[in-house]
Amino acid sequence: MNWRRWNNIIHRDLGYFLVAMTLVYSISGIAVNHVADWNPSYKRQRAVLTIEPTLASTKESILADVLPKLNLKADDLRNSFRPDPETIQLFLEQKSYSIDLPTGTVIVEEIRPRPVLYELNQLHLNAPKGIWTYISDFFALSLIIIAITGMFVLKGKNGLVWRGIWFVGAGIAVPVAFWVYYLNS
Amino acid sequence: MNRLVSLFILCSLLLATGLSAEKKFGKKITLKEKTKISDILANPEKYNGKRVLVEGPITEVCKKRGCWIRLGSDKEFETMTFKVEDGVIVFPMEVKGKTAVAEGVVSVVTTSVEDQIDQGKKHAKETGEEFDPASVKGPKTVIQIKGEGAIVK
Repeated sequence: MNWRRWNNIIHRDLGYFLVAMTLVYSISGIAVNHVADWNPSYKRQRAVLTIEPTLASTKESILADVLPKLNLKADDLRNSFRPDPETIQLFLEQKSYSIDLPTGTVIVEEIRPRPVLYELNQLHLNAPKGIWTYISDFFALSLIIIAITGMFVLKGKNGLVWRGIWFVGAGIAVPVAFWVYYLNS
Repeated sequence: MNRLVSLFILCSLLLATGLSAEKKFGKKITLKEKTKISDILANPEKYNGKRVLVEGPITEVCKKRGCWIRLGSDKEFETMTFKVEDGVIVFPMEVKGKTAVAEGVVSVVTTSVEDQIDQGKKHAKETGEEFDPASVKGPKTVIQIKGEGAIVK
């Protein structure tokens, strides 16, 4: 078997193997690229309610007063905290209430991970650390191999030395031209 | 097609086994004795530069990058920021309201008016809340923990 056949086998099978990883990084790449415009991992909903103002002063008495007003039970709470004398925060699973006690204004915030996108972004940003660091290193090295072997898949008119050289050249020109433009703008 | 369905079920089972009530972030916790957040806030200079282990409810999480959490003190009306290096630890939003046991080094930094305005604008952009630069009256001393590791439960 000549070298080109091995080249093509590596390019083909590595390509199949990396379909999922490529989709993880490319889909998440688009999502996190626009982090200034949206939160790519979470959907956040805010609502403002009004309840009767609370005159109680201790945390226990405040909770006893506000929980029924919000149709909540003590068991629903994950935690509660008073960041300042006029506010109490109630934390539930994926939901939080910030209550301004003198006015009774309640800000309800619900945060839910975006299905699929959350998981993809966590992997892309290497949140798990540990072994995922080495898996993503393997992916990056494999992409280098795919890029190099890809140039030698075909020979003749559609191979690297004819058609391919123009496309490879154009692909190099895009980042180089942009960087030159970026430095001078 | 059956092979694809089997693969999907296998992936789902693997994901389900990865879920647990307690989650670790960053480096392993090395300290055993906890320091009260209220003690650090009462005597910041004493703790400046020292490694501490603190515990408190997570009252806020960095919405964009998960690069900090705010911990409620053992005393009411006090919080402390546990700041981690961007990308080194990423706190997911769903840890909000859970309790964190967190280790790091106390940092006491006095921030100028200009820096406070910059930070306020950045925070407002992240949270969608309003920020009035006129609310900054003078230099402010910020006491926070440069976070290295945490367990959220």
